[in-house]
Amino acid sequence: MLEGLALLGDGLAHFMTLGSLFNVLWATLLGIVIGLLPGLTATMGVALLVTLTYPMAPDQAILSLMCLYVGAIYGGSRTAILLAIPGTPASAATTLDGHPLALSGKGGLAMGLATTSSALGTMVGILCLVLLAPLLTEVALNFGSYEFFWLALFGVVISGRLTAFDDPVKGYVAGILGLLVAMIGMEGLHGFRRFTFGMPALGGGIDLIPAMVGAFGLAEILVVMKRKVAGRVVDASDRVVPRIRDVWRYRRTTVRSGVIGTFVGIVPGVGEDIGAWGSYAAAKRKSAEADRFGKGSLEGLIAAETGNSAAIPGSMIPTLTLALPGSAAAAVLIAAMYIHGIRPGPMLLVENAPFLYQVVAMLLLATLAILVLGLMLTRVLLRVMTIPRERLMPVVYVLCVVGSFAIAQRMFDIYVMLAFGIIGFFLREMRYPMAPLVMGIILGTLLDVNLRRGLALSNGDLTPFFTRPVSAVICGLVVLSILFSIPVIQRFVTRLFIKDRGAPTGGG
Amino acid sequence: MSRETQDPSAPPSGAGGAVPDLPPDDGPETGDDGAHLVRADLLTGLILLVLGIAVVWMSWEMPRLEARRIHPATVPGLVPGLLGIALAICGMILAARSVRVADDGAGWRRFGAAFLSTSAARVVVAMVLALGYALVLVGRLPFWAASAVFVLVFILVFERVFSASPHPLWRTVLTAGLQAVIVGVAVSVVFEAGFLVRLP
Repeated sequence: MLEGLALLGDGLAHFMTLGSLFNVLWATLLGIVIGLLPGLTATMGVALLVTLTYPMAPDQAILSLMCLYVGAIYGGSRTAILLAIPGTPASAATTLDGHPLALSGKGGLAMGLATTSSALGTMVGILCLVLLAPLLTEVALNFGSYEFFWLALFGVVISGRLTAFDDPVKGYVAGILGLLVAMIGMEGLHGFRRFTFGMPALGGGIDLIPAMVGAFGLAEILVVMKRKVAGRVVDASDRVVPRIRDVWRYRRTTVRSGVIGTFVGIVPGVGEDIGAWGSYAAAKRKSAEADRFGKGSLEGLIAAETGNSAAIPGSMIPTLTLALPGSAAAAVLIAAMYIHGIRPGPMLLVENAPFLYQVVAMLLLATLAILVLGLMLTRVLLRVMTIPRERLMPVVYVLCVVGSFAIAQRMFDIYVMLAFGIIGFFLREMRYPMAPLVMGIILGTLLDVNLRRGLALSNGDLTPFFTRPVSAVICGLVVLSILFSIPVIQRFVTRLFIKDRGAPTGGG
Repeated sequence: MSRETQDPSAPPSGAGGAVPDLPPDDGPETGDDGAHLVRADLLTGLILLVLGIAVVWMSWEMPRLEARRIHPATVPGLVPGLLGIALAICGMILAARSVRVADDGAGWRRFGAAFLSTSAARVVVAMVLALGYALVLVGRLPFWAASAVFVLVFILVFERVFSASPHPLWRTVLTAGLQAVIVGVAVSVVFEAGFLVRLP
């Protein structure tokens, strides 16, 4: 424990240089701006910034990316409150109460509380990260091929199950498509080139970054340009810096939402948006003023903003300890870490223990930055929000093209970006979630290599996949989440519970 | 469609990738959002089914590398084959579910209408511009010029053609032209001088 505190101190001290603090400021501010602008999401921002951080030192590069991530998830709240359009999907729950508050003249209060809630949520998440990551690492060090195969499958399945809009099958389809994309190129066991159709460029596989820039950049641009009317910004002229009293009054909601958000973040491939919805639903169930929810409840706003921000450190827990991305943006972060020679996974704490605490320090600095910037820069940020999309989107697209080209400096990556953008747009229009697709792309190799390596180790025998204790547990989870997406079984189980307890149980 | 039995406080549409449908479009496609999607599901289901089968077949045809004496359980085609099967099953479920929903013709009509709305036109134009820039202009013109042309045309099209109350033409052209040149030059300079990227 003490050792951990010392390492954390080292991590913080490591970034106490002018250069680092400068990086914190611009990256967080850029993040907030990206979050503010509808159509620019955290995932896309991180993917584009990877290109720009390529020449930086590894710790500074990850610092900038992390600050951008935290800033973007927070920044979305402002658009949600003033414009009723979530700046990023993560702040969709914030619109429900934030916008009514703004309409009733409490826009400043809403913005202020959103800022403090985001900061507090990140703090709760950071605490869990510090406590849980070393524990999880200890468990994960015993994992073998069997466990990693199941973890990879679990990541794709649970992400498909939980992020699907209304139909889990579409979530699974997105996951399978992602996994198939990962199959393209040279495979890791025998060096055989799969699905290259004689194209040499496909031999190295599809890079995650251009694919993400397409699926979260171009696709999002098309979605934004499709809408005919743009929203109107509500004027907010009341006090922005919230009173301590207001923050303290909702301490229970804050802690509960923070913990829920963190645990949602831990679930692979399920990120901030579900974190916000989860804590919003829980707050509504527990609240004395539940009927005010959706009509401008401060508690609802706090729950949503705490929940989505807490999911960021939460998502870093599996990302760092298992190399299993906790969210779509975390998947891009993993790719960025590999580019900079940092290998997340169980060995991270063994090989590079200070890095975990540096990540904690990065999150702390980003939290401070959103507090300061968020409460100070209200006017300027308001101006950013009114940039018309007709002016903004072509610029963003130019950056998408350059960004996907710049990493490897080949045209092929631009084609990848275009393909993922257009296919991603159509999938999105047909209500397929994008997160499982990302999970599939990043976990495909892990799944493929570990399944076959496990089979080779057991000489073709499948039993170790089911009999080793951890394998059995994860396998059970995978089977359960698939079974639960079949309507008949779901109805049956629900009925069973109603009979047993006399009342339906709320899922959370 | 399989509506999950959800907590009433849960979001109406779940949450995930895109910004949930906000300002409602007044096109015919939003009358009942489900109807045209049901038919879209039939088509995508069938496409996924075919794709899945194709993947399975390609995986089966993949070399088994017997000459290298690899363990037969580790053939390269194993995982892709399994994924192909899973994809085909999902496609089948999607298609079957769509067929089961009784069709009074409205589904297909809505499905077709979704392609004829103004929104669809906006998407097609944005897509054509994006493709034209990345595939035709980039590489043929210097990068800064290609970007400037793209930005200018994009702004002009969306502010003139698709706008209900456009500004005077000279103003749009002037400001858009200025923005286009600044963006083109700035991006080129930053990437070529700052990040040492040789732009196409």
